[in-house]
Amino acid sequence: MESRASQQDEVSRTIARVKADALALVCGLIGGLSLFVMTAWLVLKGGPQPGQHLQLLSNFFVGYSVTWTGAFVGLLYGVFTGGAAGWLVGRMYNAVVDARKK
Amino acid sequence: MSRESSVIVGAGPAGLTAAYELGKRGMTSTVLEASDQVGGISKTVNYRGYRFDIGGHRFFSKVPLINELWHEILGEEFLLRPRISRIYYNQHFFDYPLKPMNALAGLGPLESFLIGLSYIKAKFFHIHDEKTFEQWVSNRFGYRLYSIFFKTYTEKVWGIPCHEISADWAAQRIKNLSLKQAVRNAVFGARQGMDGSTLTSLIEQFHYPRFGPGLMWERCRDLIQRQGSQTIHGVKVERVRHRQGLVDCVQGRGAAGESLEYDGGHFVSTMPLRDLVQVLDPLPPDDVLKAAQALRYRDYLTVVLVIDRESVFPDNWLYVHSPEVKLGRIQNYKNWSPYMVPDPSRTSLGLEYFLWDTDEMWTWSDERLIELGIRECAQIGLIDPRDVKDGTVVRMEKAYPVYDQVYQESVDRIRRYLETFSNLQTIGRNGLHRYNNQDHSMLTGVYAAGNILGDKRDVWSVNTEKEYHEEERATQPNAGDRLVPTCVAVSVDMADAAVEEAENAVIEGAFARIDPLALGVAVGAVSGAGIFAASAVLLLSGGPAPGPTLSLLGNYLFGFDVTWPGAVIGLFEGGLVGGAVGALAAGLRNWTLRLYAKIVQWREGRDDRRHLLDKM
Repeated sequence: MESRASQQDEVSRTIARVKADALALVCGLIGGLSLFVMTAWLVLKGGPQPGQHLQLLSNFFVGYSVTWTGAFVGLLYGVFTGGAAGWLVGRMYNAVVDARKK
Repeated sequence: MSRESSVIVGAGPAGLTAAYELGKRGMTSTVLEASDQVGGISKTVNYRGYRFDIGGHRFFSKVPLINELWHEILGEEFLLRPRISRIYYNQHFFDYPLKPMNALAGLGPLESFLIGLSYIKAKFFHIHDEKTFEQWVSNRFGYRLYSIFFKTYTEKVWGIPCHEISADWAAQRIKNLSLKQAVRNAVFGARQGMDGSTLTSLIEQFHYPRFGPGLMWERCRDLIQRQGSQTIHGVKVERVRHRQGLVDCVQGRGAAGESLEYDGGHFVSTMPLRDLVQVLDPLPPDDVLKAAQALRYRDYLTVVLVIDRESVFPDNWLYVHSPEVKLGRIQNYKNWSPYMVPDPSRTSLGLEYFLWDTDEMWTWSDERLIELGIRECAQIGLIDPRDVKDGTVVRMEKAYPVYDQVYQESVDRIRRYLETFSNLQTIGRNGLHRYNNQDHSMLTGVYAAGNILGDKRDVWSVNTEKEYHEEERATQPNAGDRLVPTCVAVSVDMADAAVEEAENAVIEGAFARIDPLALGVAVGAVSGAGIFAASAVLLLSGGPAPGPTLSLLGNYLFGFDVTWPGAVIGLFEGGLVGGAVGALAAGLRNWTLRLYAKIVQWREGRDDRRHLLDKM
């Protein structure tokens, strides 16, 4: 049995669980908007070879380029990739928490 | 009298509240009061139209039920008054609660510096296992500040050296809030006033009945009379007869010396524990009698002076720390409520002296005490003796139960014995030998009434650390050695419990800990898989030197490059790094919330400690 002192010293005795769908949405939005903003910033800045490094993302995201069209393509890819990563992290976190409870 | 009715000894806040609560639920009682006035130590005395308290009684309570009761009994008779109080020490007045600049100006830079050093010393050389009041306060304020602002006054009030007063006494006045309670108060507000006002606002102002606290108890007496109960004055209890674990009747003597006897089904006593034990018939075993005799009480007298001045000082009360005068505190009743004086051009002051009834001064004539009061007031520069137009003295025996080094053992022994009676409960300040405020005493009355009607409430838990744990509504089957509260009798109480439970649920959810291991595993797995997948995509898409940019990760992931073995290395090392980042993020988040809770808890404790003198 836990001592009174340890009970006194806790705000919450609950282990948080993550809503995977919500985390997917948040990560997806952050991923998509980040990629869109980064791309748009380079397009607006202009120059002879805008975004030569960011352009390398086209190795993974087919159709992506540092152009206005590419920014919207990147938005979709970012949403998908970020969302998938968030969903996976959420599901795996909950699975580990459940496993540790048993 | 019906065997179903109750006999309550004492018409103070605890006894009258018990009778009132019983009456609300259809049960009558007889309240026996030795004096000719109700209210006990919370009465208001009327001397030629000048009203005064036995001490000052600010009305605020942490117990919502008591706030409700106050309003229920007294209606709209409350005034909201500004609070001003100061300490008189070494020919200076210091704002209380202490304000740094004001204290610095009064004490001087050298003394302030020494106080600072003493405080730092106390923090680094903490006295472990605090046993005495002196150790308790020194640990928190430093010895030097303690010796200036706590020692003299405490010793005046209690009449015993601070190193002989139990640390329990201070600890009981300063609640050790749990982290969750502190956070709940910070997030949802600590509703403590009658109107839900918080402690912070109550530092500056307080509620007070228009004609003093006695008005509350006179109203309460009238209410219980309407409920069918009665209050009988002038009854001195001489015997509490019992047999086979049941109290049969209370015998006493009336104002005219006649013998009186009251029987009933239930008995509630607010008599001092020492007196109750000694009137039990048959007497309890010797060890219980000895324990009762070991209990001590501090007595108190007020010298009231009527001053022919519209205003004497702006404070509600002054603490007098200076050792050169005997008086401990001065109340300015007019500043509590303007209705306390009949003539607005005059002021009434209450000079409070704390004594033992065995002190010679206790037996002094009123004239001599008034003369002393005038002299001491003039000595500290408050009045011109020629302005004093009238005066009176009120003595209050057993005003304060004393917490010495042996009291707890004695109380425990008596309590164990009294608990063998199934129809007797002791409540109130002296009935529990606990330094309860009015609200605590009332709560013991509510609990006692509930127990008579079938509830299971522990009156001994009121105003204790345990009470705060009970607020958590946690299941603690062994939390008390009598009856731990398990049910709630009053609807207001029930609503409060529901609100509290909802608030707890919100706090519990918002402050739920993130499991660092679980987040580490999840983030690690996704990171490792991400690096592997990125490498694999580049390798599968082919080319002479696939992924030169991704290969730069090799600067951080030892042995990584965009090859199939490199992808596997990336999987593992990326997983490890991601795992560390995830675990660290979870830990930081948990730590930040905990830090917040600790800061909130410390701030609440500090606010409480700042008012330590008020709690004496």
